[in-house]
Amino acid sequence: MIEKSTKAARGTVQCENTNINLLKANDFVADIIKKEMAKTSTLLINITSSAGSGKTTLMQKTAEKLKDKIKIAVMVGDLETERDADRIRETGIQALQIVTGGICHLEAQMIHQVLDQFDLENIDLLFIENVGNLVCPSSFDLGEDYRVTLMATTEGDDKPKKYPKMFLTSDMMLVSKSDLLPYVPFSVEAVTKDAREVNHELEVIQISSISEEGVGEWCDWLLEKVQQKKG
Amino acid sequence: MHETSIVNSIMRTLEHEFESEKLNKMKAIHLKVGILSNIEPRLLHNAYSAYHLTNPGYHHVQLHIESTTLKIQCEVCNHITDVKNYRFLCDNCERPSKNVIQGEEMLIHKVEFND
Repeated sequence: MIEKSTKAARGTVQCENTNINLLKANDFVADIIKKEMAKTSTLLINITSSAGSGKTTLMQKTAEKLKDKIKIAVMVGDLETERDADRIRETGIQALQIVTGGICHLEAQMIHQVLDQFDLENIDLLFIENVGNLVCPSSFDLGEDYRVTLMATTEGDDKPKKYPKMFLTSDMMLVSKSDLLPYVPFSVEAVTKDAREVNHELEVIQISSISEEGVGEWCDWLLEKVQQKKG
Repeated sequence: MHETSIVNSIMRTLEHEFESEKLNKMKAIHLKVGILSNIEPRLLHNAYSAYHLTNPGYHHVQLHIESTTLKIQCEVCNHITDVKNYRFLCDNCERPSKNVIQGEEMLIHKVEFND
């Protein structure tokens, strides 16, 4: 075989500029979820935070306050156990556990797989309680209308700059466990300033599911968004 | 866990985009990942090595990862700012901005194939 005498070396490489998003598959499914939700005008809210910042307790409190006004359901992700869904069901609303089996975040595919378990026609507000983790869940669009991040007063007020992407992609920060403020070295002002340096549009509510501080404001915000979604 | 699932997702995406004949000639994968993407290049390289243990077909394919810094472009004055210390403020007019133009990407930027 005669070798080509051109200047192109043997094993010339051919390049394809692709610019494909690594999470293309996820974003494709997230779009499907968005369309499903639009059909029934169901508001979808993705709740994120570190583990132990009070997501499930807030779900219980929110269900208690709003279940007579609107139809609410929750899907909750954890690495193992059905515990959180059991706690939420005790308030009388539908809750479904997604056990990720070790995966540190929820992906759109996991949400889409369980969507048919819900009678979306009759649900005004569907919460996704994400896996407790401020890192990985920030990268995965679940087709939500709003992303709400809890930031507990027991966690320390330095978190927004440590986990900037979560705060950049959130619409609302709930400073949770505010009833503990007298006992912990935590400044709501400092955490709000840091978070708004990352995301100037971030809404902030100081909230406690125990003392019920801010719960009214939170519920009003939800009702307003449910109304907006219904157009 | 996270890096492993990202490597799987990259390989699945490529298998979806290109014919298997072409994939057999794949030489290198170039990724572009922003500082905000939560992808740590070193860990991704490790996960990629681990991937070959169960999928030896691609063991000769090199992985290149380019990290990108964080930049915003002001919606008002169009000035481009390198974001330092996660302060999303325009250098020029001091207005806050969320208009990230670089630093969030997670892209399969380029794929090389042997001729």
